[in-house]
Amino acid sequence: MELLNYLSIGLSVALQPVNLFYCFAGVFIGTLIGVLPGIGPVGAMSLLLPTTFKATPEAAIIMLAGIYYGAMYGGSTTSILVNIPGEAASVVTCLDGYQMARKGRAGPALGMAAFGSFIAGTLSIVGLMILAPPLSQFAIKFGPPEYFTLMVLGLTILIYLAHGSMSKALLMAAFGVVLGLIGLDSINARPRFTFERMELMDGVGLVPIVMGLFGISEVLLNIEQAFRREIFETKIRGLLPTAKDWKDSTGPLARGSLIGFFLGILPGGGAVISSFISYAIEKRFSKHPEQFGKGAIEGVAGPESANNAATGGAFIPLMTLGIPPNVVMAMLLGAFMVHGVQPGPLMMKQNPGLFWGVIASMYIGNFMLLILNLPLISIWVQVLRVPYKILFPLILLFCLIGVYSVSNAVFDIYIMILFGIVGYLMKKFDYEGAPLVLAFVLGPLLENNLRKSLIMSQGDFSIFFTRPLSAVSLVLALLLLVSPLIPWMGKKRAEIPKEEIS
Amino acid sequence: MKKQDIISSLFWMVIGAGVCYGGYDLELGTLRDPGSGFMFFWVGIIMMGLSLSLLIRAMREKSKTGEMKLIWSEVQWKKILSVIIALFLYAYAFNTLGFIFCTTIILIFLFKAVEPQRWSVAVLGAILSTLSAYLVFQLWLGSQLPKGLLNIG
Repeated sequence: MELLNYLSIGLSVALQPVNLFYCFAGVFIGTLIGVLPGIGPVGAMSLLLPTTFKATPEAAIIMLAGIYYGAMYGGSTTSILVNIPGEAASVVTCLDGYQMARKGRAGPALGMAAFGSFIAGTLSIVGLMILAPPLSQFAIKFGPPEYFTLMVLGLTILIYLAHGSMSKALLMAAFGVVLGLIGLDSINARPRFTFERMELMDGVGLVPIVMGLFGISEVLLNIEQAFRREIFETKIRGLLPTAKDWKDSTGPLARGSLIGFFLGILPGGGAVISSFISYAIEKRFSKHPEQFGKGAIEGVAGPESANNAATGGAFIPLMTLGIPPNVVMAMLLGAFMVHGVQPGPLMMKQNPGLFWGVIASMYIGNFMLLILNLPLISIWVQVLRVPYKILFPLILLFCLIGVYSVSNAVFDIYIMILFGIVGYLMKKFDYEGAPLVLAFVLGPLLENNLRKSLIMSQGDFSIFFTRPLSAVSLVLALLLLVSPLIPWMGKKRAEIPKEEIS
Repeated sequence: MKKQDIISSLFWMVIGAGVCYGGYDLELGTLRDPGSGFMFFWVGIIMMGLSLSLLIRAMREKSKTGEMKLIWSEVQWKKILSVIIALFLYAYAFNTLGFIFCTTIILIFLFKAVEPQRWSVAVLGAILSTLSAYLVFQLWLGSQLPKGLLNIG
């Protein structure tokens, strides 16, 4: 009953015309950037953050959240029709989706991707509604040691799941922490690493770093070589899957939703990993595994539902603990803060309209996405035909104006270009950007909670081991860090699908 | 990845040393009351340790011939450098020449120089994109885009 009350509060916020508009704008832009290879949800959210400054916090977060889950829908379209994933979470959909299109079954593949996304997205919102309130209550009891160790665990999981060398991922996280701490010391207001530049007193902005690492560097990578893509020329008909398709897909849909939701909650997990794990599980349990990779609809239904369910799960740690589990959520945390809202255990009590409004808007957004992605699929196919030589100047233009609009400072444009070059070189030298950004956001929180914990314990580190939750978090983090030295765990890590495959 | 890893690990070692020194310079404080440089110092130490382990591993690896060439092969440097220089020039001239002038010029350049297109497409595309961006950001969202010396906008 209580949940229904909360839902009605949420619906009263989400159904306001202005919020409906922002929700539609979010899912529309999300689908668009999902369809377009070369710019992901993180880049798009940072690009569009300035457009939310005039809006209420509810409208802003509703739109930015819509971009995230909208991108998961849109990403499947390019995977199926072009064999190029629109974003990393749709990589695995290429395997069977494109093969279905080649066999003249692009319609059912797109249809199942959309229905699967809708069903999983909706189920994950239900999960979010059920789990968020008790977790918020539980999190109120957390002190600085618990927050510090949970953040350490979150970063460690992200590093563990990172592509390639763990040392490189750890280095990136360490560098991210350093960048995050630049500016005035939060305790004694002493300038740190500001090089006597006034612009650095408030620290380095999240938006220039994210736009540089994920926007400018992507463009540089794409223009360094001839960029070609061919759309599979087929008429898309019969978007509704057949009864047999549904029968084959029911199990993968249910499993994908569960896997996606729970992996989405885990720090560092998220949409990419869950889509790969769902594919691997479906293939393993299938009666005809030989069909996978040749156009099996289960290979589309499972991963597509998993990556959408993960988006709902990812909101749980952010909204109940204030800890972002992945880079997209880190970006969203930045947006919350820009609008003067602190996500965490008290948010549900202090800002019930915002908390439940965002959740309710996700139900509405999922309906909008179903309409956008089924009857209007031909529009997105047309978008795919825009050549990259037209697209990349526009992406750069949005990066330039977007970054300037946040702070009205040319200094931030320089920072963005610098991080664009850094991001380009990082990709060339096989370093990942995700640990850097997450550590950048968590850096100040990490330092603050570490210092508070040490002050509390009068310099005794045992405070992290005598409190059950922090002890468990630290032991888990330690296990993950030493895992490459343990042969069987190292092997398991090597098998984890990699985000950078795209 | 031998050569790249050696280069990058040395780079990060220098950065780590700088962070470490900076942290020390800021005051470490005590464990009971950590100072402003406490976190920087220890993160710097961690960075140096990690880059050292990366360096040792890279040194042990067998060198593959032509690996550096492979990463940079087919890279069209002219395109990359021209885009980066254009972006820096844009930032440099942004306040002085104003949003509309700078943006139109950089867009014409990007449309024309990187993947050459017809002049009409480049100029028209640049003007339309600049005006649309101006309408959205300046007029609708109220951003303070600079008018510059030319006082356009």
